[in-house]
Amino acid sequence: MILKLAWRNIWRNPARSFVVIGAIIIGVWSVIFLMGVMHGMINSYVDNAIKRETSHIQIHHPEYMKDKESKFYMENAEKLIQDIEKIPGVKAATIRSQTNVMIGSSHGTRGIRINGIVPGREDKLTGLNELLVEGKYLEEGRPNQILLSSRLASKLKVKLRSKLILTFQTLDGEIVSGAFRIKGLFDTKNAMFDDNIAFVDIHSLNELLGQQDIGHEAMIYIGSVEQMDSTVMSLKKAFPDLLVQNYREISPELGLFETQIGMAGRIYMVIFMLALIFGIINTMLMAVLERVRELGMLMAVGMNKLKIFLMIVLETLLLGVVGAPIGIGFGYLLTSYYSTRGINLVIFSKEGMEQFGMTNFIYPSVNPEDYLFLAMSVFITALLASLYPAYKAIKLKPVEAIRKM
Amino acid sequence: MTVIETKGITKVYNPKKVPVHALRGVDLTIRKGEFTAIVGPSGSGKTTLLNIIGGLDQASSGVVIVDGVDITRISDNKLIDFRKEKIGFVFQAYNLIPVLTAAENVEFIMLLQGISKDKRQKRVVELLKSVGIEDQADKRPSKLSGGQQQRVAVARALASKPSFVLADEPTANLDSKSTAQLLDIMAKLNQEEGMTFIFSTHDQRVIDRARRVVTLEDGMIISDVTR
Ligand SMILES: Nc1ncnc2c1ncn2[C@@H]1O[C@H](COP(=O)(O)OP(=O)(O)OP(=O)(O)O)[C@@H](O)[C@H]1O
Ligand SMILES: [Mg+2]
Repeated sequence: MILKLAWRNIWRNPARSFVVIGAIIIGVWSVIFLMGVMHGMINSYVDNAIKRETSHIQIHHPEYMKDKESKFYMENAEKLIQDIEKIPGVKAATIRSQTNVMIGSSHGTRGIRINGIVPGREDKLTGLNELLVEGKYLEEGRPNQILLSSRLASKLKVKLRSKLILTFQTLDGEIVSGAFRIKGLFDTKNAMFDDNIAFVDIHSLNELLGQQDIGHEAMIYIGSVEQMDSTVMSLKKAFPDLLVQNYREISPELGLFETQIGMAGRIYMVIFMLALIFGIINTMLMAVLERVRELGMLMAVGMNKLKIFLMIVLETLLLGVVGAPIGIGFGYLLTSYYSTRGINLVIFSKEGMEQFGMTNFIYPSVNPEDYLFLAMSVFITALLASLYPAYKAIKLKPVEAIRKM
Repeated sequence: MTVIETKGITKVYNPKKVPVHALRGVDLTIRKGEFTAIVGPSGSGKTTLLNIIGGLDQASSGVVIVDGVDITRISDNKLIDFRKEKIGFVFQAYNLIPVLTAAENVEFIMLLQGISKDKRQKRVVELLKSVGIEDQADKRPSKLSGGQQQRVAVARALASKPSFVLADEPTANLDSKSTAQLLDIMAKLNQEEGMTFIFSTHDQRVIDRARRVVTLEDGMIISDVTR
């Protein structure tokens, strides 16, 4: 009965109720879509970073991550990779040996990080071969070929098939040089990354470093992020002397980015809820003050305070109960529409988002629990907002209310 | 049987600032089955007296005994329940809940009392019939005339089976025809069911229908006539 009364009461002033319901709908809708877009952006950025740069899991010599000194290498690289591939959950794995080098052309030198890769494995992880804009990918066993980005090539004023000299320290601390011919040029669209890296065959690099069959960084790609923790566990067990880390540990900024964007979504939601609280309080106070006489009459004829309180609370909750599902529905429709189609970010900036390490298309997605979370938040917000008007209503004295008749 | 007994009730509004002595010692006894009009000039204290008897307001001093209970001694929340069970109210206006139909308005009180659905619905039909409004049962108050609304209010007041009905100027907003109809209904309920009515009024035609007339002036009873 109180429910029926509350339901009919909210339609006494349909325009006013629609304003509140409309605000809830638009708010919920936009919060969902925004969370979806943010989520899509995180996924796009993180997926891109995982694919091109870190992979899901990496294994190093326990000392290596401190300063990335090449003397902290892992032995028996070939066997290590084969063992890693046997661990359940691992989809692909490769190993790199790495060191800092001075790369020089006749036009100048730059300090970069050189990666010795296993060409036949690398393409299955980072897809380096797909990023070539000119020339060819490294061939297995062919020494002294190098891949660098077209950005770096133009800075060094070199072209395909130009010769470059790499100068660096061997594992024993002696200086060595090697000549490499440019086999291909790639472009990841991530300027920071492209400026500071080049790839050669792992054997060529190891030979110059002075020890064969070593690697510094094993990279592991897994089927899905959900399996990451269990795979890390198995790897740790299998390689107790090595350091196994997931991408969040390797690139803390990725994990940070994930939580920050997630937080931004929550903050936006809190702001919306705050605005909503005041909107609802205002509306419901109006509804209470308008009905002072009626509420006085109800109390006079025996409707107790608890029931009056409940009626006002229910009226408020009903506004949310009508608004939230519609908003969630719209949010869901919009998000799913774009989650298959993608949102083309090129329309916001000519260069697109690739310069920031994202793909130009993002696919918004919302976790099912976020819908629930939002619905709960609207409910709690409406509940909180109803308390003050309901309190006002029960503070009315029936005589005073009736006197006004 | 005595339903209401007041002893020496006084009421002072604004005791701190500009005190208004609305009642100055009212002793009044109402018996079951009475049909009593409280009359007197404007400001004489009629509304104040009815509110105190009805447990809507508190006397500054004195005792109010309703059905053997001293209501000056019970708490606010219990008083609400007391009103629900013992007293039927008819106000001058705004008696009904606008979003409920006539029938639902009558049913509402019984719902608050926790009466079963069958009983409620049976009684709603009876009550609406007894006030001659059965064919308007599904209309909302805004679709009823002032006289019809007041008749629904009387039905609503009776729904809880109260000890008595208090009506503060129930006919003040009605034309003479509706006034006569309403009084006919009240008189009939008084005679046939023995319901006790206490109503205040300015209207001589209403006063003429009362069997007991209590006249207030300046917060005191100056005459009390039973015909
Ligand atoms: N809330 C209040 N505060 C202060 N004074 C009040 C209040 N209510 C009533 N009074 C005063 O108390 C006196 C009695 O008022 P009351 O309303 O009981 O008279 P009444 O006989 O019902 O008058 P009327 O015929 O105009 O309805 C009046 O002088 C009135 O001004
Ligand atoms: Mg009055």
